[in-house]
Amino acid sequence: MNVLTVLFSAATFAATLRMAVPLLFVALGGVLTKRAGIENIGLEGLMLIGCFSGFAANYFTSNWIVGILAAMAVTVLFALLFGLFVVQIRSHEIVAGTAMNVMGSALTTYLLRSMFGVKGSFTDERVRTIPNISLPVIKDIPVLGTVLSGQSILFWVSLAATAIIIFMLYRTKLGFYIRAAGENEKALASAGVNVKKVRYIALIMHGMLIGLGGIYLSTGYLTQYVEDMTAGRGFIAMAAYAFGMARPGRTFFAVLLFAFVQALSSRLQIFGVPSYFADMIPYAITILVLAVTSYREMKRERV
Amino acid sequence: MKKRLIIPITSLLALLAAFGIGALIILANGDSPVQAYGALLRGAFGSPRGIASTLSSATPLIFTGLGVAVAFKAGMANIGAEGQLYMGGMAAAVVALFVPAPSIILIPLSLLAAFVIGGLYGAIPAVLKVKTNTNEVVTTLMLNYIAKSFTSFLVNYPLKAPGSPLGQTNNILDAAKLPILFKGSRFNIGFIVAVLAAVAVAVMYRRSVMGYEMRVQGENKLFASYVGIDVNKRLTQGMFIGGGLAGLGGAVLVMGIQYKFVQGISPGYGFDGLTIALMAAFNAIAVIPIAILFGALRSGGLTMEMNTAVPSELGVVIQAVVILFMAARAPLSKKVSDYLDYRSTRRETGKTPPDPLKKAEEGGAV
Repeated sequence: MNVLTVLFSAATFAATLRMAVPLLFVALGGVLTKRAGIENIGLEGLMLIGCFSGFAANYFTSNWIVGILAAMAVTVLFALLFGLFVVQIRSHEIVAGTAMNVMGSALTTYLLRSMFGVKGSFTDERVRTIPNISLPVIKDIPVLGTVLSGQSILFWVSLAATAIIIFMLYRTKLGFYIRAAGENEKALASAGVNVKKVRYIALIMHGMLIGLGGIYLSTGYLTQYVEDMTAGRGFIAMAAYAFGMARPGRTFFAVLLFAFVQALSSRLQIFGVPSYFADMIPYAITILVLAVTSYREMKRERV
Repeated sequence: MKKRLIIPITSLLALLAAFGIGALIILANGDSPVQAYGALLRGAFGSPRGIASTLSSATPLIFTGLGVAVAFKAGMANIGAEGQLYMGGMAAAVVALFVPAPSIILIPLSLLAAFVIGGLYGAIPAVLKVKTNTNEVVTTLMLNYIAKSFTSFLVNYPLKAPGSPLGQTNNILDAAKLPILFKGSRFNIGFIVAVLAAVAVAVMYRRSVMGYEMRVQGENKLFASYVGIDVNKRLTQGMFIGGGLAGLGGAVLVMGIQYKFVQGISPGYGFDGLTIALMAAFNAIAVIPIAILFGALRSGGLTMEMNTAVPSELGVVIQAVVILFMAARAPLSKKVSDYLDYRSTRRETGKTPPDPLKKAEEGGAV
């Protein structure tokens, strides 16, 4: 068996897309707030909250749609709590974001134990998995069928979300306001627009997207809740939008790249190659790209 | 009311409010907050053994709290203390595993290795900021994960203890173990080193040119460069010292608690350090009591869990609420302090200055 044919097989690409879904949702959420002038380093915590709350709602109702909606609603609530501090009180956003991360991890672990009496991981037959979509015709095409057919509904939702956000951000008034809130908030305010309101709207969409990313993990990718199951994906998503300069299109490709690295690394483990170096890649590339772009900007400003 | 009381008073209020919210969560869980908090207090301070365990939990927190405080004072939003702790802890472990020397040499040498490696790791984002103007928030955050993966690789491959199912090193040499101060616990001289480090930092700011310049450029870069301070150098030094202190936090975990480097050795001590530094308003001496308080939450939480149905994670939930309130403190206390100025100006001059609350609304704060 040739190593390369295993690594670059249709299965690897299918895995790439599966791993890209949660990253894409969360990174897009980060793009929106970043463009609106808010840096939320609490993506990881919010994602975990969505992951848990949606799973719990799904457990109590045995309905995956309720699970998705609950994940979105609860994550929006916490995003607004973050907004209360950052937008209203004008708190230090790094500190408030850290609070979200600590809160997300602590609250979900606490509730897992007090609500379900378990530690570690939890699964139950009452929980319904979000269905996958098998594409007619396409599924019989060799490579393409393996890659595209059988992906979760949320995979297609994430693609639609990307398109909608690109359209919203660059073609609508709201998108213009959001970008202005990030670039020149005073100009926006003097044009008579309520900057706080724009930021809250961005935060609501931010929460919805992150909730989707979270719920995909616990009832799409797996049908199981595991303590701290986001496992740094919130930070990889942050790396992705930092890499993508908070542009949705570029962020989309960054997500695909990072997901591909992850898929490749889990394949490489079959051959006994440790995954630790692959785990570092998204962070390392992001630091490198940030350093290069910041350096260029600095030079440009000096000229 | 004096202005200098704003910070202690607001810290206390935030803490009380957080415990209040914690009580509500306990009630929602169907337990008694009095019993739960009683067990927490008893566990943390009720016996000499409990106190010893609280102080030993506080030791790495003092170091990370100091590390974050020094970095922030130098003008760097360091959220990389976790990564600096991992790298420092690994450096200490390597020395403590392989250098056959008596304690009197080996212990200082291991601590020094932790300080230098943690410091160099902390200096990376400072150099990137100085040379390429890269925002340190993202870089310090990303470096945490690189450090975690890197140390995980080391303890699973080259440094893995033979036959161990877990990712961990062999036990360190006996000579490198930090001497224990209270029998039957892991409370060790690391605590004393931590307190000395806090004093050293406080003295550095008051008595040394380096400390003074570091602080001044952290507050106002423009002013600092006008008066001839080498801003870039002082900023990098601040991050080096901050990273080194966080690295020592890793060293005391390895040499005083675990006696080996275990994969994922820190349950977020670096992020706790951020909370502690904020509550202490970046004052080195104030870091000590606050770190002890957080140590108490951790060590008392276990007693609470054993004696009541309340999971020990409640302590972390309370901590998260404290962080949120801390986030609100700077802007809110600025309003309070503006108001106090406003009142005293009015009293002294008899004139009414512009309303500070309106001004603060427009201006915004840290």
